[in-house]
Amino acid sequence: MMLIENPLNESELSFPILECIHIVSFAFSVGTIALVDFRLLGLGMKRELPSQLHRDTFFWTLGGLISMILSGLLLFSSDPDNYYLNWAFDLKMVFLLLAIVFNYTIHRKAALSDPPGGAKAVGGISLFLWGCVLFGGIFIGFLNSTLDFSQI
Amino acid sequence: MLLSLALWVQATDFFTYLRGSGYAYPIVLSMHMVGIAFFGGMILMTDMRILGLAMKKYPVSDVVDQLRIPKRWGFLLAGTCGFLLFCCKAEEYYYNIFFRLKLTLFFLIFVHAMTFRGSVYAKAGEFDKRGIPGRAKVAAVLSLVLWAGVACMGRGIGYIEPPWGIHAQLFDLLHL
Repeated sequence: MMLIENPLNESELSFPILECIHIVSFAFSVGTIALVDFRLLGLGMKRELPSQLHRDTFFWTLGGLISMILSGLLLFSSDPDNYYLNWAFDLKMVFLLLAIVFNYTIHRKAALSDPPGGAKAVGGISLFLWGCVLFGGIFIGFLNSTLDFSQI
Repeated sequence: MLLSLALWVQATDFFTYLRGSGYAYPIVLSMHMVGIAFFGGMILMTDMRILGLAMKKYPVSDVVDQLRIPKRWGFLLAGTCGFLLFCCKAEEYYYNIFFRLKLTLFFLIFVHAMTFRGSVYAKAGEFDKRGIPGRAKVAAVLSLVLWAGVACMGRGIGYIEPPWGIHAQLFDLLHL
């Protein structure tokens, strides 16, 4: 079998630098989504309407998501086998998919309708889903390619 | 003195447990990340608003004033978790160059806050009428650089493996 070397693995620095980009990207994407969530929950930015806040953070959320996913894909490419065998990674991907779909369907609809329907539930669910994505990301590093459920 | 304090705190029952636990430690680390994501975003948006790059339709004071309290809660969450993580491996962190750089950045953030609090962040209401002055933009750029630096240094901490290289050797040599 021919082995193709991933150029990312040639430098020790590429992985940590990508991780930093990944962290700053999710501060943008998850951070702006959380801002809308806190508004829906009535915990912050109360002078603004949720619909305004949603529209005005839209591009920062999208930009953050794209940069987060691209840097994530590159991180994944450095050692796909390790991630493939990692159940925290699988969970993270499921929650990521759920969180993104939720964000652009129910979350969007709730935020854009003034007054928002089911605002508190939607804000809470959104925060929960993104929280799970973050938890999954951390746990990847703590389960080195073992499918060990015995420790739970 | 600092090192013996570090040795003492990581040897306590609680932190010995946390360090060795399969799940509690990563949960605290995850909470640290949640703090970064939810509330780091608020810092970014505040600075972006001051720079005129985001949420331009809102008065600067709306963004600065309304995010002040949520940001404090966020800092408390990330800070508490960070402190717990530090206590688990206090000796390692003591020698860790990235941890030292991170603390240095926190000190600079403190200086930044003391410098600009009165002249920028407390006066956001004036910017609504008269436009955003240069010193506010300087404060925003510095804040972005410092906080991004904190995130990157934090990530760097994990990359220094015991026995912590030249630093530990130097400290041993000097009997510190």
